Amino acid sequence: MRELIYLTVVLPFVGFLINGIFGSKIKNEKLIGAIGSGVIGISFVIALGAFIETLGLPVEQRQKIVTLFSWMSVGNLDVSFSYQVDQLSLVMSLIVTGVGFLIHVYSIGYMHGDKSFWRFFTYLNLFIFAMMNLILADNFVLLFLGWEGVGLCSYLLIGFWYDRKFEKSTTSDAAKKAFVVNRIGDFGFLLGMFLIYMTFGSLNFNEVFSRAVSFDVSTATFGFIAIFLFIGATGKSAQIPLFVWLPDAMAGPTPVSALIHAATMVTAGVYMVARTSIIFASAPDILMVVAIIGALTAFFAATIGIVQNDIKKVLAYSTVSQLGYMFLAMGVGAFSAGIFHVMTHAFFKALLFLGAGSVIHAMHHEQDIQKYGGLKKYMPRTYLTFLVAALAISGIPPLSGFFSKDEILWYSYANGNLFFWILGAGTAMMTAFYMFRLYILTFEGTSRFGHDKHPHESPAVMTIPLIVLAVFAAIGGFIGIPEVFSGEHGNQFHNFLAPLFKDADRKLATYNMHSHFEEILLMVLSVAFAIGAIMFARYVYLKKPSIASNTAQKFKGLYNLLWNKYFVDEAYDTAVVNPILQTSRSFLWKIADNKIIDGVVNGTAKIIDVISINIRKLQTGVAQFYALVMMLGIVAAFFWIILSL
Amino acid sequence: MFNNAQEFFNVLPIIIIGTGIVISLLIEMYSKKSDFLLPWFSVFMFLAAGLHSLYYVGDVSIVLQNMLATGGNVNVFHAIFTLGAAVVTLLSIDYIKKYGAYFGEYYIILQTSVLGMMLMAAAKDLFVIFLGLEIMSVSFYILAGMNRKKLNANEASLKYFLLGAFATGFIVYGIALIYGSAHTTSIDFITANFSELIKNLLFIAGVLLFLIGFSFKIAAFPFHMWVPDVYEGSPTTVAALFSTGGKAAAFSAILATLFALFNGPAGNLFTPYLAVISVLSMFYGSIVAIAQDNIKRMLAYSSISHAGYLAIGLAAGNHDAIAGIVFYLAAYTFMNLAAFGIVSLIEGKNETNLSINSYAGLGSRKPLLAALLAIIMFSLAGIPPFAGFFGKYYIFIAAIKSNLTWLALLGVLSSAISVYFYLRIVVLMYFKPSENDFAIETNNNAMIAIIFSVLLVILLGIFPGTLIDLVTRFI
Amino acid sequence: MEQNSLLTYLILIPLIGSFLILFIKNDQPNLIRYAAVGISTIAFLLSLVIYFQFDSANSDFQFINKIEWIKGLNIHYHVGIDGMSLLLVLLTTFLTPLTLISSWSGIESKVKEFTFFFLMLEVGMLGVFISLDLFLFYIFWEAMLIPMYFIIGIWGGKERVYAAIKFFIYTMFGSLLMLVAIVWLAVYAIGPLGYFTTNLIELYSVAPQIPMNIQIWMFLAFAFSFAIKVPLFPLHTWLPDAHVQAPTAGSVILAGVLLKMGTYGLLRFNLPLFPEASIAAAPYISVLAVIGIIYGALVAMVQTDVKKLVAYSSVSHLGFVVLGIFAMTQESIQGAVIQMVNHGLSTGALFLLVGVIYERTHTREIADYGGIAKIVPVFSFAFMFASLSSVGLPGLNGFVGEFLILLGSFQSPILNSWWYTVFASSGVIFAAVYLLWMYQRVVFGPVTNQKLVGLKDMNAREIFVLAPIFIFIVWIGIYPGTFLKVSDRSTAKVVKQMYNPVKVSPVELGLNQYLSK
Repeated sequence: MRELIYLTVVLPFVGFLINGIFGSKIKNEKLIGAIGSGVIGISFVIALGAFIETLGLPVEQRQKIVTLFSWMSVGNLDVSFSYQVDQLSLVMSLIVTGVGFLIHVYSIGYMHGDKSFWRFFTYLNLFIFAMMNLILADNFVLLFLGWEGVGLCSYLLIGFWYDRKFEKSTTSDAAKKAFVVNRIGDFGFLLGMFLIYMTFGSLNFNEVFSRAVSFDVSTATFGFIAIFLFIGATGKSAQIPLFVWLPDAMAGPTPVSALIHAATMVTAGVYMVARTSIIFASAPDILMVVAIIGALTAFFAATIGIVQNDIKKVLAYSTVSQLGYMFLAMGVGAFSAGIFHVMTHAFFKALLFLGAGSVIHAMHHEQDIQKYGGLKKYMPRTYLTFLVAALAISGIPPLSGFFSKDEILWYSYANGNLFFWILGAGTAMMTAFYMFRLYILTFEGTSRFGHDKHPHESPAVMTIPLIVLAVFAAIGGFIGIPEVFSGEHGNQFHNFLAPLFKDADRKLATYNMHSHFEEILLMVLSVAFAIGAIMFARYVYLKKPSIASNTAQKFKGLYNLLWNKYFVDEAYDTAVVNPILQTSRSFLWKIADNKIIDGVVNGTAKIIDVISINIRKLQTGVAQFYALVMMLGIVAAFFWIILSL
Repeated sequence: MFNNAQEFFNVLPIIIIGTGIVISLLIEMYSKKSDFLLPWFSVFMFLAAGLHSLYYVGDVSIVLQNMLATGGNVNVFHAIFTLGAAVVTLLSIDYIKKYGAYFGEYYIILQTSVLGMMLMAAAKDLFVIFLGLEIMSVSFYILAGMNRKKLNANEASLKYFLLGAFATGFIVYGIALIYGSAHTTSIDFITANFSELIKNLLFIAGVLLFLIGFSFKIAAFPFHMWVPDVYEGSPTTVAALFSTGGKAAAFSAILATLFALFNGPAGNLFTPYLAVISVLSMFYGSIVAIAQDNIKRMLAYSSISHAGYLAIGLAAGNHDAIAGIVFYLAAYTFMNLAAFGIVSLIEGKNETNLSINSYAGLGSRKPLLAALLAIIMFSLAGIPPFAGFFGKYYIFIAAIKSNLTWLALLGVLSSAISVYFYLRIVVLMYFKPSENDFAIETNNNAMIAIIFSVLLVILLGIFPGTLIDLVTRFI
Repeated sequence: MEQNSLLTYLILIPLIGSFLILFIKNDQPNLIRYAAVGISTIAFLLSLVIYFQFDSANSDFQFINKIEWIKGLNIHYHVGIDGMSLLLVLLTTFLTPLTLISSWSGIESKVKEFTFFFLMLEVGMLGVFISLDLFLFYIFWEAMLIPMYFIIGIWGGKERVYAAIKFFIYTMFGSLLMLVAIVWLAVYAIGPLGYFTTNLIELYSVAPQIPMNIQIWMFLAFAFSFAIKVPLFPLHTWLPDAHVQAPTAGSVILAGVLLKMGTYGLLRFNLPLFPEASIAAAPYISVLAVIGIIYGALVAMVQTDVKKLVAYSSVSHLGFVVLGIFAMTQESIQGAVIQMVNHGLSTGALFLLVGVIYERTHTREIADYGGIAKIVPVFSFAFMFASLSSVGLPGLNGFVGEFLILLGSFQSPILNSWWYTVFASSGVIFAAVYLLWMYQRVVFGPVTNQKLVGLKDMNAREIFVLAPIFIFIVWIGIYPGTFLKVSDRSTAKVVKQMYNPVKVSPVELGLNQYLSK
């Protein structure tokens, strides 16, 4: 199966072509959906097969590269369409194809009746294609192809309902924002690639990473490369300062939010940092920057999440926050922990979004949680699965979220410092709080919606994926039980990925010298926080709803600040966007181009005209005058000659 | 007189024209149908002379006691004059009819003027040059005023006469001084001892006066003032002759007389003078032409600036310059003949349509005529693949070879300016609708002449080699 | 040497064809159109033959045809191609028939004249790309102005006269300076060679030895003329006018091929003839190129006229090409060459699409559009596709060129600084902004303008015109090797010439470093 891995890339593309070309002709939604989901399903099977096969191999044989054909070969540059099977890419492809498949199936139900059903699946397949390129690429350029490709799909899918309004503007504005902000990140990524090429004379992972160890390269250079790449990551994974696009991305259909803006694409940045761990490890300062950015993003996004009322907005900020967690993990050198959280997060966050989608679907596209309430009796399956997810993300043992999150928290303390742990734990607490605020306002309590709405459980095609995801969200964590519990086997997941990060680990020299006691203590603490937060949420939103509004009243300023997301969008508009537009329009175009540059051009013509009109006046028509002019000429000529003798 | 038949044979072109004049007089006097016979006879005669001189271009010789030269560039010039004159005649046949009365003398004087030109080109002696010059000029004065009834024609003629005489005066002085210092009027002698003579102030003065006189004839700044008025006033076909044959003849005389200038450093003394008048003429011509709305005046200024380009060649003063000038003149002659020819067709009965706006919409009204004029305009502007371009190219080669790159640069600058007013005609013809649909009468004679010239312009542009080889062979 | 007259035939076909067309009666416009398309298609097929016979392993000029032309000046009719020219020749012969088909319904009046001028234009463009004699080159270079001048002036928009004259004189001005430089160069050759020559191959060996103080002037004269054609900031202002006023076909060829003549000239003449001067001037020209990239993008961003927007985007894109050329690394120059082709395809496609919609609505104002995605889905897709290729999305052609250029310029020992690339790369962001924003305003959103309702989608002919272009857009994006291979040797040769400077040059150290890699 391993050498067939390229099929996981090709098949989605085939699906994309079929649906793209014939989709508009095929009237049968079932068929389109079947094609769309089918190709992803097969890809998943292949990936799974490759994974199992890999497990059977000894560690040193686990990496394999499948080359299709050469892409660009100029000078020293030689990159091809070649896909690499190794532990990391396998884990990622399992997540992408697996979760992707479930979401495809779910979409059959969710998008039912949409006028361009086929277009939706076309885009989804294209997205999986790009995503698989991203994670299977064996060189930076191909990774970048996937990187931009997912960006494009995200653009297309956010703007899927291109004629709909979204908040103040339109969906296509949100789409454009996403693409452009991502491009800013890509700008960094590009520079990173150039510098890598300049430093290591190649862009293929294996060569670059081996040379990163063997070559004698200054830390500064590593630092630049790392920071450039990280800029790319902040764009794709919605970290400070480039996170602004993700909340708007919720303009897209909910399955899109689940697949692209929660489970897979947004984790690309994390994946990329993990993939280039050796480079980051060689630039400790930048790694620290990564950790700080991650921690801060996690924290601030969580604070915003507390006050939002749009069900998808809350989830969006929670995603940003969770991504911050992952970068915190990367930053403190806990690469496998980060990837572990990528996986669990994919499960429970996808589940949350799909659940939200199911609710929105039931509530006829009402997204304001204040207009929900008491839905659990209408849609039991959605309710249960959502609860599982909520518990998981809140880090309640033994659900998946607990293991991954706690591993990160632990390393943030062990490899990092207490400050990181406090931010992390604080985030965890807030997460638990706003997740249950969301959960309670939606499912518990009395229903606050009008009688025009008749909520109902979604069809099986939507609920089954929910259940499957719920199972994983629940038990998914057991493959990464920390050694403090599992004892001598150590952390399975960790061990599996370890070979990829050994160089990085060696560079960082992070053997933790902390006692198990500390680890368990912190673990207990964070769990306690989480449970406390949940209880508090129950109290506030179930027992005494008044409290919430009162606090909002009391801390109006803070509340507004959070409600308006720290006014970051506005700040960017006034500080960056508008100035550029203004100068371009009123100076560069209207003045520099039309007045100055063209002015010179046309001015020259004008001047010549004027001269001409004036000189012609010499032509008086009077013969004597002509004779005079001739005489003058002659005299002048003679003077000249005499002088030059 | 002639030492042998060969010599006689070599000067045959001149003789043809000379005798032709006599015959024409007889026809004019005795024939009833002279209005038909005379033009066609002179065309035939011109062609005969022209073809002869082209065909026997190789017969280089000096005849009549070192008075005349034959072969080589002389013949090339003769061809230019006569073929040009033939074209002018064809253009005139229907043109001069519109003056109501028929002037037989027109053709005869045309012939005399050509005779003058030929003498100038062939001269080996300053007196012959003067002789030719006068024959030509006097004929021109008359031709300019040919249309007696027209006031500004008379004015033109008079102005031309006054100023022309003025200029001729300088030439005579010049010749006198040269004679005084060289004790001979033989051009060969002067050429041979140029580097000696140049030490003599009188000689310098003579040469300078000579140059100045001819600067007038070639219509170079600041001796150009007569040009616009005369071109505007005199009959269009005649103006065509002035601007082509006249100019060419003047240059031929300069080349013949001051060949020494083109033989190394001796002549460098005059380079500044020539360079300056060339620059001034180019820019003055190109710039002032922009402001003109009478097409004949526009062409007049364009001819001034072309005089400037040719003067670059004089300033460059090397063998390429000679070749370049000859080629340029050939090209320029037929460009201008075609241009004036078309003007003569458009201007209408009583020359009402001389404003350039009369050309608006010509592209759709008279496609062929418009296309021809467009080609001419591009060629005048020096855009390949037409003859005008190659002329410039060659002149620039000459200039740069004698380290006058700056002059070449100024040359291209001025031609960049000149593009503007040449294009304006094309713009009017193709991009603008016609304003008033006056009648445009074309006639076969004129069309033949024009098409012939345009074909020459194209051929010389694409295959300049033939003529170039011809010219370079005899330097 | 053995003669090969294929290239001559390639020129003769449209040349003779254009005159034959003059004999067709005016009342049969379709016959004229078919004839023109047929002729240009034959030319295209012939160019394919040339492509298949071309030996891309050989860096010398091939298909050389040398005939004495003007003996007195030792000027020859001397044509031949190497990899760089071959690609552009193919681009020309490929775009011409498509453009003619595209103008089927766009050009209603004076069809005969139009096709005549158009084929003449093809002759001129091909001539420019295959001439190996500077004189011959100049003839084609200038002669090509005339048909374009008429195409803009006769079939153009409201301001066509202004645009046409501006285009003509602007370009003419530059080329006249080049003319002086050509003559100067030829005269200079008399020294070492003993005779006056404009033979490019001979001058390649002579020119580099010209002392710097003269060389720099010749370089500037050439560069100036080419920079106007490219157009390089700040000599670009003729372009928006010309593009906006020209008929669709004109704009396509203008953007598709004419602009490339400038960059081609820089690559074919400036670098190899004046290596020292090129190296000295590289930083300055690169700065202009980078300014052009950003400036063009920013100005494009705020345009209200679709065509003008695309026109300014050309300024930005061509900036990349110039940067690539003057970065003088194998990667960047290969990128530049492929980017010339890319820009021809992408921008050509964009102009075609603008033309398609303009024919239906007779407006180019972005504000008049919106929400046409529902009404004309095929068009919307095609438009998106072309825009993305212009944005430089990986997997499509644009990316390959820009990536190679930036990759190369980043480590160029000549420029020897990151900053050029850093700023240039920001163009990648802006490109996304102005194109997607334009696209969004034209295609997405609710239908505002009622005139758009009932708009006809692209017809078979229009699809047929765009399909081949799109095929190549993908081809170059996924498997550029086909095309990179063609020019690889000849660009390598140029680079090599650059890195063996005649005299010791300031950056030689950096160069050796680069070579030792």
